[in-house]
Amino acid sequence: MANLPTPPMPLPQTSPVKILTRDWHLPECWTLENYLKGGGYQALPKALKMAPQAIVDEVVKGNLRGRGGAGFPTGMKWNFVRKETSFPKYLVVNADEGEPGTFKDRAILEWAPHMFVEGLIIGCFAIDCHVTYVYCRGEFRDGPVARLQTAIDEAYAKGWLGKNILGSGFDLEMHVVRGAGAYICGEETALLESLEGKKGYPRLKPPFPANAGGGLFKQPTAVNNVETLANMPAIIEKGGDWFSSVGCPKNGGTRLFAVSGHSKKTGVFEAPMGTTFTALLNDYCGGMRDGSTLKAIIPGGSSSAIMTAEEAEWMSDFDTLKTKKTMAGSGAVVFLDQSVNMAHALANVTRFYATESCGQCTPCREGTAWLSRLLDKLCRGEGEKKDVDNIHQIARQMEQKTICALADGAAMPVKSYIEKFRGDFDALVKG
Amino acid sequence: MIPLTRPAGPVPSPFNADQQARFDAGFAKAIAKYPADKKRAALLAVLHLAQEQLGWLPEAAMAYVGFLLDVPAVRVREVATFYTMYRLKPVGCHHLEICNSVSCWSKGSEALLKHAKEKLGVHAGEVTPDGKFSFGEVACLAGCGYAPSMVVNNYAYAEDMTPEKFDALIEKLKNEPGQNIADFPKNHDTGRAHG
Repeated sequence: MANLPTPPMPLPQTSPVKILTRDWHLPECWTLENYLKGGGYQALPKALKMAPQAIVDEVVKGNLRGRGGAGFPTGMKWNFVRKETSFPKYLVVNADEGEPGTFKDRAILEWAPHMFVEGLIIGCFAIDCHVTYVYCRGEFRDGPVARLQTAIDEAYAKGWLGKNILGSGFDLEMHVVRGAGAYICGEETALLESLEGKKGYPRLKPPFPANAGGGLFKQPTAVNNVETLANMPAIIEKGGDWFSSVGCPKNGGTRLFAVSGHSKKTGVFEAPMGTTFTALLNDYCGGMRDGSTLKAIIPGGSSSAIMTAEEAEWMSDFDTLKTKKTMAGSGAVVFLDQSVNMAHALANVTRFYATESCGQCTPCREGTAWLSRLLDKLCRGEGEKKDVDNIHQIARQMEQKTICALADGAAMPVKSYIEKFRGDFDALVKG
Repeated sequence: MIPLTRPAGPVPSPFNADQQARFDAGFAKAIAKYPADKKRAALLAVLHLAQEQLGWLPEAAMAYVGFLLDVPAVRVREVATFYTMYRLKPVGCHHLEICNSVSCWSKGSEALLKHAKEKLGVHAGEVTPDGKFSFGEVACLAGCGYAPSMVVNNYAYAEDMTPEKFDALIEKLKNEPGQNIADFPKNHDTGRAHG
């Protein structure tokens, strides 16, 4: 196969509080040597001397919310798994980053793989898990997965993985497995199906993955995002109260914002939870590209509801955006300028969901395809005014009717793009 | 017709000796990751492994994988058709995939796709007459900050692409062998619902 080097990602600007990006200014910041210099693997011996429940309590205190998209409190999830009496228990890492706009887990695996590995060991210890799987997206084989595998091999060699870790009596095996290109496998139950060697059809809940009968091989399972776990060393070293003090109420810590689109700088930026979109754009990304003005913001991956330029003052934490009827999602922010017709943008987004719908539930399989056909018709200049109303109506009919949230994720942009940028749609109507 | 049951006897391997050695080494590693009674879980990994040897997944490879993991052929095919990284028909020695998700789209991926079609003289999904190149549209590759982005042969990222950089990439790849594409009868019906 062609042996093209992966271009090094440009190193992002620094944030006032650096947790995840602590070492990113160093050349070859991903090496074990550099991670140790920055204070790496000091949290692990400390954690192994703590009671597992005390670790979870710190996570609860720290208000750590899942960084994959839903923002579920991590400590609460781990307490669910801890309460189960069925063994073995699993911790499965969701590194199947696939939401359009999102590339921050890739950045962690490429630039801070040891911070993630240390965090994952601590997480496994906290829920009494002895075998963990990191499910990475298939395309990551030669870049992020290679870096991660090197880090894991080094950790085994140092005695941080394997039998009787640091004399604590705790055993842990860590395996990396790869998906094969299916967006739906980022949904946690579809991911578990895929990990069991099946097509990625989401499972009906309950039972939830945390409960016996619902997880990997029907065992209690915590499914956590890469970024969530990479925060663990900092929480152990500095405590939950400190972690919570960074960020905003009920949303502890910083967030890796994956910025793309028409801002002057794009890339992965670490900023405290709740940082406003105005601050993110101006202070981290240097504003919009030359000669362009902000028109719209995708705040948390393509399935989040769109925001207008006037709404850029909103805070970016999970709770604020939920009250604003959109979502913080995966932290993928796309700044779009005046050159974009939002109906064309929506046609692109919707085509993605139509392609990636797994086909299990009728409202999603038929609805996404129907929406995509109508939007393409509109963009070809063949649409009528009633088509725009129809598109909005179909999206409303798809919500809350399916096994997983893909249909809702497809409907949310459709409704919001039309409600907030109706003019762009009407401009394409023929006649 | 895809058999719904497990095969009665051993299924012949589709690999030559070198391919077999690489496959066997990878196979042992893949199944060692799971509990002994759960080796079916390694299906995705083993299909990747088979495709790495052959460049695509002919029916013979799927049947062999199913036999090794004790999975009915229909289940293997179900997985192979569900995931977009598995190739159900031969592709070019260099298979280029251009991302057209919203971030790449906002930075000119449509123009890049059009350029690829003109440069290579084939449509998405087709192979050039010399067998060297094919291309397709995908979303999303997690390269959004470095858009438009693309991958070569599933794994090698090329980012911040422009038509000029695309041409340079083609010139470079022309002189590289790329992946071997095994010569098997084409699968009679690829029937994939995705990608």
